[in-house]
Amino acid sequence: MIALEARRSRRAEQFALGVLRLAAASVILAMAALLGYLAYEGTKTFYVDKFPLAQFLFSPTFSVDQNHPGAAVFIVGTLAVTTFAIVIGGPFGIAVGVFLSEIAPARMNQILKPAIEVMVGIPSVVYGWLGLTLLVPLIRTHTSSPSGFGLAAAGVVLAIMILPTVITLSEDAFRSLPPALKEGSLALGATRWQTIVRVLLPSASSGLAVALILGIARAVGETLAIQMVIGNATQFPSGLFSPTAALTTEIVTDMPGATEGSQLEHALFSMALLLLVIAMVLIVCVRFALRKRA
Amino acid sequence: MPATGALASHESLAATRSVRGRKIADMAATVVLWVMASSIIVMLAAFIGYMIYLGGSAISIPFLFGTPKETTAGGGIGPEIYNSFYILFLTLAFTVPIALAAGVYLQEYARPGLFRSIVQFSAESLATIPSIVMGLFGLLVFVYLFKWKFTALGGALTLTLLNLPALMRVTQEALASVPDTLREASMGLGGTKWQTISRVVLPSAIGRLTTGVVLVAGRIFGETAALIFTAGLSVPFNNPYDLDPMRPAETLAVHLWYTHSESIVPDVDRIGNGSALVLLVMVLVFNLVARLLGRRLTRHFTGRDA
Repeated sequence: MIALEARRSRRAEQFALGVLRLAAASVILAMAALLGYLAYEGTKTFYVDKFPLAQFLFSPTFSVDQNHPGAAVFIVGTLAVTTFAIVIGGPFGIAVGVFLSEIAPARMNQILKPAIEVMVGIPSVVYGWLGLTLLVPLIRTHTSSPSGFGLAAAGVVLAIMILPTVITLSEDAFRSLPPALKEGSLALGATRWQTIVRVLLPSASSGLAVALILGIARAVGETLAIQMVIGNATQFPSGLFSPTAALTTEIVTDMPGATEGSQLEHALFSMALLLLVIAMVLIVCVRFALRKRA
Repeated sequence: MPATGALASHESLAATRSVRGRKIADMAATVVLWVMASSIIVMLAAFIGYMIYLGGSAISIPFLFGTPKETTAGGGIGPEIYNSFYILFLTLAFTVPIALAAGVYLQEYARPGLFRSIVQFSAESLATIPSIVMGLFGLLVFVYLFKWKFTALGGALTLTLLNLPALMRVTQEALASVPDTLREASMGLGGTKWQTISRVVLPSAIGRLTTGVVLVAGRIFGETAALIFTAGLSVPFNNPYDLDPMRPAETLAVHLWYTHSESIVPDVDRIGNGSALVLLVMVLVFNLVARLLGRRLTRHFTGRDA
């Protein structure tokens, strides 16, 4: 009787393990399918439409009518808004991260943490709508920009959107430092600020690098919030307030009008593939930064 | 000697001055950091206040429960709210079991090795992929390959892929927070590994799990980019509250984007303001529910405060 029970529970044990392993394997399968399918679809620009890769990456002319889907404008647009966002949001996020870890009293933590969680939860379109109704008119009235749409509007919206990522990860980076570092510095007579700048910041650098890289990843992939405020003009940004377009916004803008199998559709899938490659490169960077820390 | 004495006092004066300088720098930095951190709270409060100011007047019974209009003013968002919840429900029905199982495997069973590193690398990569790229993948698979056209099911499956890594991490972190002494006690009493996990570890982790799941649910509710090309931009005309998963299902977040960028109704601002406010309120509700439910479940199953 007991033996039977034991055998049954052993069988249940093995069954459970099998199911769990299958679930874990499904993640690999999903990633492989995504990578394979997008690589296949995204390279059709090059082997079906015979458009050279170098031209796709570096040509500023995006014209399907002329058989010339150059994506340089969108690549530069993505680089520009991402740089804008990380230049503002990066230092700000790290500063708040250090505040949460080193300075904030418990009560401040209890207010700030849920606030950041709410910021994570606010949908992309709501950020876009806020940018559209608040930021764009503000830029229109206070600068020479005729429409208000453009690089600056998109950059500010993105900077706000990456804040939670940068704050949370940099706080983790500071918290994971051994307390002896801080205690040693304070015991030698350094002030809290000196300790932060000269001891904690350098020691946490790889963790902070991860925070920034994942902030960049979020900025590169963000779509609708910036699509609503960037202006969606196929031109290089000529200044902070110039309307332009990014890889993600171009996909959303033109995909609804692209028929299955058309050159336009192929070009948009190539851009999606490029975004995928950027994401993978950033993930490898994160791994590299973490290994350096270990 | 007087000379050295003078020198010493001079040095100590310099030291005092630099100590004062350092203290001032320290205080200034502290003030700046306080201001920066507070500005986040102020900004968020301003956002919420502004959205209430903009959208408050748009909210009404006909708006919340009415059907959208194609060309005339006065359209509502009833079917869109329904679709948001419908797709959320479908997505969770797929994501939660898979993420739970995979998370339990990684945290409780898997030994360091090739399989675990590949699973973890896949999950990390999947988590970093932009949602628009995931949307295009969904378009390729569900719309082109399976020939489903735009469907609620296709949208939900795309969101499953998008949110699987986040929920796996939620599971892993919840399990990691369960003290090993509980596992040892269960095994010591003769429980098998699976019995230990299903009857001891998971109930202890349920509070944190629930908090995580509800927070992710809030994100699924507001997801847009992955749904435009999978669940579509329309609701069934004659039966907007259809339960059939194989029909187009425009969600509220998608509706907000669509109204702004594509539609030709004259009251775009009213619909946008109202929809944005409803989305924002839902985010707050999800956050609140996550906290309260998580706390209550933890207390119920473990007798401890979370």
